[in-house]
Amino acid sequence: MIKLENIHKTYFGAQPLHVLKGINLNVEEGEMVSIMGASGSGKSTLLNIVGILDNYDDGDYHLAGHMVKDLSENQAAEFRNKYIGFIFQSFNLIPFKTALENVALPLFYQGVGRKKRNALAMEYLDRFGLKDWADHYPNELSGGQKQRVSIARALVTSPKIILADEPTGALDSKTSAEVMQILRDVNATGITMVIVTHERGIANLTRKIVHLKDGLIESIEENDPDKMDFTKEIK
Amino acid sequence: MFNRDFWSEIFMALRRNKLRTVLTGFAISWGIFMLIILLSAGNGLKNGVTSNFADRIKNTYTIWSSVTELPYKGHKAGRYIMMTNKDIQLLESLYQVEEVSPVISKWGTLIFGEKSRSIGFNGVKPIYKNIEGIKVSEGRFINENDMKTKAKVVLIDQDTNDELLRTTGEMTMIGKTVFINGLSFTVVGVCKANMWGERGLAYAPYTTMQTIYNENKYYQMEFTTKGLDTKEENEAFKAELKRKLAALHEFSPDDRRGVWIDSQMIDSLETMKIFNTINIFIWIIGIAMLISGVVGVSNIMRITVKERTNEIGIRKALGAKPRSILLSIVMESLVITTIFGYIGMICGIGVTELIGMAMESSGGLSNGNGMSVFVDPTVDIGIVISATLVLIVSGVAAGFAPAWNSVKVKPIEAMNYR
Repeated sequence: MIKLENIHKTYFGAQPLHVLKGINLNVEEGEMVSIMGASGSGKSTLLNIVGILDNYDDGDYHLAGHMVKDLSENQAAEFRNKYIGFIFQSFNLIPFKTALENVALPLFYQGVGRKKRNALAMEYLDRFGLKDWADHYPNELSGGQKQRVSIARALVTSPKIILADEPTGALDSKTSAEVMQILRDVNATGITMVIVTHERGIANLTRKIVHLKDGLIESIEENDPDKMDFTKEIK
Repeated sequence: MFNRDFWSEIFMALRRNKLRTVLTGFAISWGIFMLIILLSAGNGLKNGVTSNFADRIKNTYTIWSSVTELPYKGHKAGRYIMMTNKDIQLLESLYQVEEVSPVISKWGTLIFGEKSRSIGFNGVKPIYKNIEGIKVSEGRFINENDMKTKAKVVLIDQDTNDELLRTTGEMTMIGKTVFINGLSFTVVGVCKANMWGERGLAYAPYTTMQTIYNENKYYQMEFTTKGLDTKEENEAFKAELKRKLAALHEFSPDDRRGVWIDSQMIDSLETMKIFNTINIFIWIIGIAMLISGVVGVSNIMRITVKERTNEIGIRKALGAKPRSILLSIVMESLVITTIFGYIGMICGIGVTELIGMAMESSGGLSNGNGMSVFVDPTVDIGIVISATLVLIVSGVAAGFAPAWNSVKVKPIEAMNYR
């Protein structure tokens, strides 16, 4: 599903910063992978490249069989809309839109009609127990609710991949556990999932843990999340 | 693209920043309001001045007798040049000349019943009406039949007419017999004061006057031309005519005086040039004013876009195409400029229409001689259409730069922007 070959990325600032120094990584369809590493290890950069939110300097990136290189903004937007769902640490909900409108937004950019859009968005909110909160604005929701709304938003277009950047970073341990359970359930439906985290407990809930250090993959650890005691593992 | 969702997004963005939207919009409203006011003032001035000339036909020339300034061929300077029938023959021999209308001018005393008043008494041809733009308010002007029969008929001006009616209690002067310098004339018409605002005038047929006074000296002569359309053609003709007249009357062709030749066409072209210049000037001022409004909108849009950078980043991550972001920002700016621009335009048009109505009911602004200087200070549909185009262009211009900047930003940078 995701195939990275020798990916390089340098940020040209006052001092050029070589963030990724040749990443090779394969993620198969239906896998649940976590990327771990200290801050500055390049894990967020890697996720942004995978999510086509940022470009890379060298190497090859194939997403679902398509070469992702030098895409126009239009093509990038289409790829993101069609294949990828994003979950962010800070939720990135649009503050002046209701939960329902937020979830329906990706469908708007797909050109789905208003009625169908809202019906589908409501279905996803309902799936995460947020039906009664559909008309609430993000600032009227708790952290866990916000993250569930953003998961609903990521899923509403039926993407092939979910990319989660520190999905539990802003949540307490109980809510984190709930959110992780949801992500595992989503993965169980066959959707590939890549989670960036610096928490071991979160990484332990994935089958494959990619350790990143100084812009290189240090090791790839196979893991059996079912052995873990869920509630203890987180935090 | 431009469906209900698109517009609701834009109006939502505008509603979220009501005060800002209104303040920005005000600059645009004010700019277009002032533009309309200035343009209509310019129009008023133009209408006012041209209305004085409007009824004169354009292709006319007037020659006035004058005094020479230079000595020439043994003649001393200061000689008074009077035009004669030779001048008429000269003019009629020129192919550019259509019809010559000499004027016999006399002073006279008009007597009607008990009332008498002194008048300027002119013998004219029927064409004189068109040349001078004389408006007949009652009855008719001198016609060809009067000329042929040398009829003793007369037109009097409004002022004389009103005075005679007032003092004698008659209802109308038409058909009445008046005495001018002892001769009886039948009044056939009443005309408004001429463009110079002169009062106390009477017009009789040229042939009648010639018979009475046996006049062959003319102080003033008018004629119409054909085939002279441009300023250059008229200037050339004027110079040629001056040379010919100089030869006929033996005064120096370099003499600035001797005779005065005035071309209505040149005057009117000059006048139009002045008003076109004024108009261009007004547009420049108006547009400069509008530009300050546009800069305001652009600035506000820049801030709006900056504030919305995160949101735009999120939208991009969710699959918004650059075009949809560009369009929504440009349309937002366009909506502000057109809505507030139209408010300004409607206010401007309303104010000018009110002034126009008020001036019409009070008879217009005049300079005291009956010459109007300000008439119908309103704008026409052409100006409204151009102002609308200016608004649309400025709205797009104001929104485009900020929109383009936001499109260029990478989604991840936009999302991480604080």
